[in-house]
Amino acid sequence: MSLTAKQVVIALLGLLFLASLVLVQYTEVMRREEEAGLRQHKVAIPESSKRCYECHRQTNPGIAEHWIGSTHAQKGIGCIECHEAAKTDADAFVHEGYTIATVVTPRDCAKCHPKEADEFQNSHHAKAGNILHSLDNFLAETVEGSRVPFDPHSKTPGRPDLDGKVNGMASAFTGCQQCHGSLVGFEGRDGKPVTSKDLKPDAEGRPTDLEALARIVKNADGKPVFSAGSWPNTGIGRIKLDGSRGSCSACHSRHDFSPRRARQPENCGKCHLGPDHPQKEIYDESKHGIAYQDLKHKMNLDAKDWVLGQDYSAAPTCATCHMSGHSKNGGVITHDPGPRISWAKWPPISLVMGTDINGKVVTEADPAKRNELVKDSWQDKRSRMTQVCQHCHTQDYISAFYKQYDDFIQLYNEKFAKPGAQIMKELGAKGLITKTQFDEDIEWTWFYLWHHEGRRARHGASMMAPDYAHWHGMYEVAERFYEEFIPQAREHCEKGRAAGKATEADAVLALIHEILARPEHAWHKGEAK
Amino acid sequence: MTAGAWLRERFPVDGDQLRELTNEPVPAHLKRWWFCLGGTPAYLFVVQIVTGILLAFYYQASENGAYESVRHITEDVAYGWFLRGVHKWGATLMVASVILHQMRVYFTGAYRKPRELNWVVGMFLLLCTLMLGFTGYSLVGEQLSYWAATVGANITNNVPVIGPTLGRLMIAGDQINEQTLPRFFILHGAVLPVALILLLFLHITILRLHGVTEFGATEAEKKKTFDFFPDHFLTELTIGLVLMILLAVLATVYPVTMGPPADPLSTPEVIKPEWFFLVTFRWLKLMPITAAILSLGFIFFVMLVWPFVDAWIRRRRPASELSVLVGILAVLAIIGLTTWEALVDH
Amino acid sequence: MGASLLASYGTLGYFATRFLYPKQDEEGAWLFVCTTKRLQPGDSLLFKIPKGETVAIARNGAGTGASDFVALSSTCPHLGCQVHWEAKNDRFFCPCHNGAFDRSGKATEGPPAQAGTNLAQYELRVDGDLIYIRVPSSALANSGVGPDARGVIVDPVAIRGPGHDPCLAPRVPSPTREV
Repeated sequence: MSLTAKQVVIALLGLLFLASLVLVQYTEVMRREEEAGLRQHKVAIPESSKRCYECHRQTNPGIAEHWIGSTHAQKGIGCIECHEAAKTDADAFVHEGYTIATVVTPRDCAKCHPKEADEFQNSHHAKAGNILHSLDNFLAETVEGSRVPFDPHSKTPGRPDLDGKVNGMASAFTGCQQCHGSLVGFEGRDGKPVTSKDLKPDAEGRPTDLEALARIVKNADGKPVFSAGSWPNTGIGRIKLDGSRGSCSACHSRHDFSPRRARQPENCGKCHLGPDHPQKEIYDESKHGIAYQDLKHKMNLDAKDWVLGQDYSAAPTCATCHMSGHSKNGGVITHDPGPRISWAKWPPISLVMGTDINGKVVTEADPAKRNELVKDSWQDKRSRMTQVCQHCHTQDYISAFYKQYDDFIQLYNEKFAKPGAQIMKELGAKGLITKTQFDEDIEWTWFYLWHHEGRRARHGASMMAPDYAHWHGMYEVAERFYEEFIPQAREHCEKGRAAGKATEADAVLALIHEILARPEHAWHKGEAK
Repeated sequence: MTAGAWLRERFPVDGDQLRELTNEPVPAHLKRWWFCLGGTPAYLFVVQIVTGILLAFYYQASENGAYESVRHITEDVAYGWFLRGVHKWGATLMVASVILHQMRVYFTGAYRKPRELNWVVGMFLLLCTLMLGFTGYSLVGEQLSYWAATVGANITNNVPVIGPTLGRLMIAGDQINEQTLPRFFILHGAVLPVALILLLFLHITILRLHGVTEFGATEAEKKKTFDFFPDHFLTELTIGLVLMILLAVLATVYPVTMGPPADPLSTPEVIKPEWFFLVTFRWLKLMPITAAILSLGFIFFVMLVWPFVDAWIRRRRPASELSVLVGILAVLAIIGLTTWEALVDH
Repeated sequence: MGASLLASYGTLGYFATRFLYPKQDEEGAWLFVCTTKRLQPGDSLLFKIPKGETVAIARNGAGTGASDFVALSSTCPHLGCQVHWEAKNDRFFCPCHNGAFDRSGKATEGPPAQAGTNLAQYELRVDGDLIYIRVPSSALANSGVGPDARGVIVDPVAIRGPGHDPCLAPRVPSPTREV
């Protein structure tokens, strides 16, 4: 190459170098603009929420910080997007120029997450509040508390504000409703709370009973005043003023709405623990929970879809087995934890999870009618769960496990649950105990037997926690049955006989005798006498 | 008195002498770019010095400040991301061109008598370059930096006899502490560059004394030369510009990022050194640590004295092509081990 | 060739110079202080800028415009020490050379009074009912939009009971649900 040619090449390369530096300059300018907020930054505070953010960042830094860390913040979903309300909404109020509502309902979330909200609406979880508010919550509202406010026994020194009536509903509010969900309501002018039952919301969630709407008490700023106990509440079946059921924040805590957190067992442990259904503790004891504790760092908990078998395989959490997508179902996640559960273990006698068109457990005994009613059989549910199991276990292993599980449920049902339920029914039918619940020792005994110990045993068996299946479970069920339940049942018969109900007492005693003479109880020589 | 005369009086160098000194005739084969690979790392070294000095204005060599200062450079300072990108890509290209240069020298037999010593100097230049790379990425304060330094220190500890002393000396203690980063910074920013400059000076001096190896089928072809200045200088300038373009584009298209900050309590699931250490990393996984270190030491020693080994072989069997065979095998082994390590997680 | 080389390497040199040149505080940043409701006429509060000094913010007028508020720097104009508020003497006092300033920042004693230099004021803006002051960007550097970029109201008066803070309204006995 001649020297001139070289010089030309160098000149051209120099220009090319300059061009590449122009590219550098362009990138630098882009970065500066992004920094100056002219371009969208990773955290995007929407214009509409700027004022909210500025003020609440100072007054409630926790809320602001959680939100900043959320995917919502990255995608520019601010305060208004979720808290915005229509003027016609029962809970709407004007705050700093915006019409908003305090409680964000699944209807609000469904604006962007319709599929998730829909699945959740159909779940047993979403109905947890209805169960509580439609049944007679006698235990918490009467036995533990009082439905009628009553006078304090004596004054509490230093707290003159506590001199008024005692709120007997406190246990129901703070205990039951924080898991099951409250019936969210406002103070009414007549002293009665205004809830969705009064407002009768239409399909759009707007109140139709304007008289009820007018009864709502508002404070000086025009903000409606929540009725005592109904708020704050993150119970999963919370019933909102717009009539929508459930609370997304029960699992996806506000204000960061972290999928990561909902995937971890501690999240479910907010409610699924304690003496009556210690699923979280059972899980902790199981090989699944042990593996999770050890391999948590391999769980890829921040993955976008978190598909078992693709994003992780280290260990299962509650969500993995009951809700999450996996490689054998195309990664489809559901917000209804029911469809993979084949035994309903919450009632005194476990039920086969054949569900009808509304998702209710079919209790019909006649095979033909049953077949007619069941739309989603226990086999369907079990095969769904089996798909999950197959990620780590062979089919032989899974079938053998389910044999152990079925045998255990049947043992509990047949040896203790069905006889116990029958005796309780007969005692009531024959008038040997009162209709009022929990006013006789045997009613507490029976409740402990099925609601606490019986469930512990069955849940322990379902999730491989031997200690819960046995020591916290069947051992206590047996002791309760032989040492308390049967003697108390006999005692009530004797009391009845003394009160002139000899025929009734003899009938129940004959039933008890018949039950105890069965081969599975025959070992109990003390009873045979 | 003219300014030129004034200067000559105070700086008594004759222009003709200077011309003779710098303008050695260059063999014709250097018209081909792959014979210019020795100049490439030298040029990149200058880029590294310039960008390195610039970065050092903001860098803080402290346990708590390192990561934040690098983040500050990358995200806040004007053109910081670019200069750090050029420094990082410059390092990559420098190591790559050093290796290519060495391969060229090896396969063309340019290390043979009387140039054996320059090969030895070159080996130490390679060592210096790799150590600059290692200390360089240990300075960032990321997870990779921390654990690379830890692994490096533990390798050193396992060197027989002197290992533990050397290891303690290197990281100023038994594990990484607040004294470690300043040490690495001094090594990276002062000791190693100065060593490299001295070795480079030696390298070029020896080169100039012997002249560039001459190739050619015939004697006449061997004697064909051209001027260093301006002809060869322009070639080097062209290469320099191509490198600058390459660096600017690489730094923009593949910008430097910040990894997770160093966490002494948790080693990342998948940890990989920079690409030029992948081969060593895989080697360490293949055998017990002492065996690996001894074998690496042995390999380095054989490479160091290869000109003499080669001469010994050629004395026995003058027609032997063993060196080429050994070279091909070594290159294949290095490529194989590097690819293996790059493709698997553990 | 010369021009091409000069242009390209020159640009690179310019980048290097810009890299070394410290960031200029051209803009400053508007930092939220509080709502106008928080400050009644005559009230004042101390506000701590993140990574910065404490600013005294007072409301002098009944209106809600920027001119009804004042934000005083706590840096003494004499030699840059930090002044502090002396409630009992109703003045800002500088411990270095006994400079003193009144509520509005006017120098009353010491070297500042002799030189006639008052406490500097921060630029203040009222947007709707939100009060902002303009602070150097460096005070907020690296804190982005996150919670770190938050000023804190330093309340010298300890909250003792209801009435001192709008958030602590007197407790009303909770009404109970009738069944």
